[in-house]
Amino acid sequence: MAAEALLEVRSLSKRFGNRAGREPSPWVIQELSFVVNEGEFLTIVGPSGSGKTTLLNILAQIDTASGGEICLQSHAAPIGNSKSLKPGLACKIGYVTQEDNLLPWRTTLQNVLFPLTVQRRLNEDTRARAQMLIRAVGLAGFENHYPHELSGGMRKRASLIRTLVYDPPIILMDEPFGALDAQTRAQLQEDLLRLWNLGRKTIVFVTHDIVEAIALGDRTLVLSRSPARVAGEHRNSIPRPRDIRGIMIHPEFAPLYQRIRVQVQ
Amino acid sequence: MTTHESELDRAERSQVKWRKYAVTVGRIGLGVALLVAWKVGADAAGPLYAADPINVFQRIVSDSMSGSLLRHITVTLRLSVEGFAIGCTFGVALPFLLRRMPRLTRAVEPYIMASVGVPKYALVPLFILWFGIDDAPKLWLVGLLVFYPVFIAVFAGIRNVDRNLINMARVAGASEAMISREVIWNALLPFFFTALKIALPRAVSAAIIGEFLVGNEGLGYMIEYSRQNFDTTGVFTGILVATALVLVINAALVRLDRHFNAWRPIDRDMAL
Repeated sequence: MAAEALLEVRSLSKRFGNRAGREPSPWVIQELSFVVNEGEFLTIVGPSGSGKTTLLNILAQIDTASGGEICLQSHAAPIGNSKSLKPGLACKIGYVTQEDNLLPWRTTLQNVLFPLTVQRRLNEDTRARAQMLIRAVGLAGFENHYPHELSGGMRKRASLIRTLVYDPPIILMDEPFGALDAQTRAQLQEDLLRLWNLGRKTIVFVTHDIVEAIALGDRTLVLSRSPARVAGEHRNSIPRPRDIRGIMIHPEFAPLYQRIRVQVQ
Repeated sequence: MTTHESELDRAERSQVKWRKYAVTVGRIGLGVALLVAWKVGADAAGPLYAADPINVFQRIVSDSMSGSLLRHITVTLRLSVEGFAIGCTFGVALPFLLRRMPRLTRAVEPYIMASVGVPKYALVPLFILWFGIDDAPKLWLVGLLVFYPVFIAVFAGIRNVDRNLINMARVAGASEAMISREVIWNALLPFFFTALKIALPRAVSAAIIGEFLVGNEGLGYMIEYSRQNFDTTGVFTGILVATALVLVINAALVRLDRHFNAWRPIDRDMAL
């Protein structure tokens, strides 16, 4: 593929610090390498406990790595020392975590505006963008509700657009729709693809659900069970726009699903 | 069908109304019963040991008219507020400073916890020795008694802040100062208010005890002066006024709490 590499991960390894009187802790990630291209929707599947969240935490610079290299836009990111980490790499990496992590004392709108506020980028344009996103995900009318007054799906939407609103070059997503019912989940996947189509952001989306990985991604990486390594890579040529709810009856779905399934153990 | 439903509805509504009514009646009844018990008890004990409620209310009215009551209240209130402000400032600032220095925290923590055990009232003679007989020893007493509950609650509150929220804020580009102000401060507000509910009445009590021991003004002085003159009515008046003062402060605090912690899903506190 001719596209430019935006994020490069080379021989990344991670083990957590030893605790006194215990066996040395095992490798969570070992010799993990992959590339994410500009404008690509990359999905990563792996069994639970395979170090997916740890990988994203390292990429988002909120956790250290034990070895390897990470380059964003050809600049090496600090990885080894927790003091030198730069969470979010100066707002270049957005991170939608598994939990919504909305600030409970802020209303929906205030939560969505939070990154803009702390980055001192709050102005007419960015406010308008926030309003646009709020309408796009159906949160209009709930701007002044507190998180505890929203449903699980609405909270996810708020947390999603809180990252989209400041438009970081790359967005990491850690099973953001994991804890939702099937209906809400499909709805949110459609919302996400629709939003992605507007800007074609670079997204790294981690999930344990093979169907979701196929439905959303341009390319899917399969991680092995701990320690995490790349067990396989699958290009996905199902054309866009995709019908999320009918993805399973697309003729290319079944063989792709089968190829991924045998690698996910 | 509809008439049946509305009848049920009405029955239910009147029951709800009655329940509300019952609580109000119960409260007033309890208040009256306490007053009656006071009166009966005072009559039985005699005027030297317990003041008659009627005399106490008369005294409140006459002292209010002469302005002396207001003067004593002002003095005690000023002392409580100043001491409270000092204790509270240190109680909040110190945990925020220690947050950035985990090793120092671990080193000093046992000493701080040990110092909690020092009976603060026992230090008053030393305070008088060191700081004289003006406001200073009283401010030290009030400040110290306020400092500990605030410090402990804020310290616990900071440790209790969800790491994920802090990480989220960092990734979103917030500086450490912004995280302290926005994430940590808001997350520990409920802890802080719980501490205030303990610290504010304590501040008033400490001010009154300070006034027992030093000075010639304030509610504490008024109570102690009355006692020395076998004026039991004066003692009871002082206690009643001090209690009312604490209740007013608490009510103001509850309002502030509601305002600042409006986002909290449920009200977990006892209301006055």
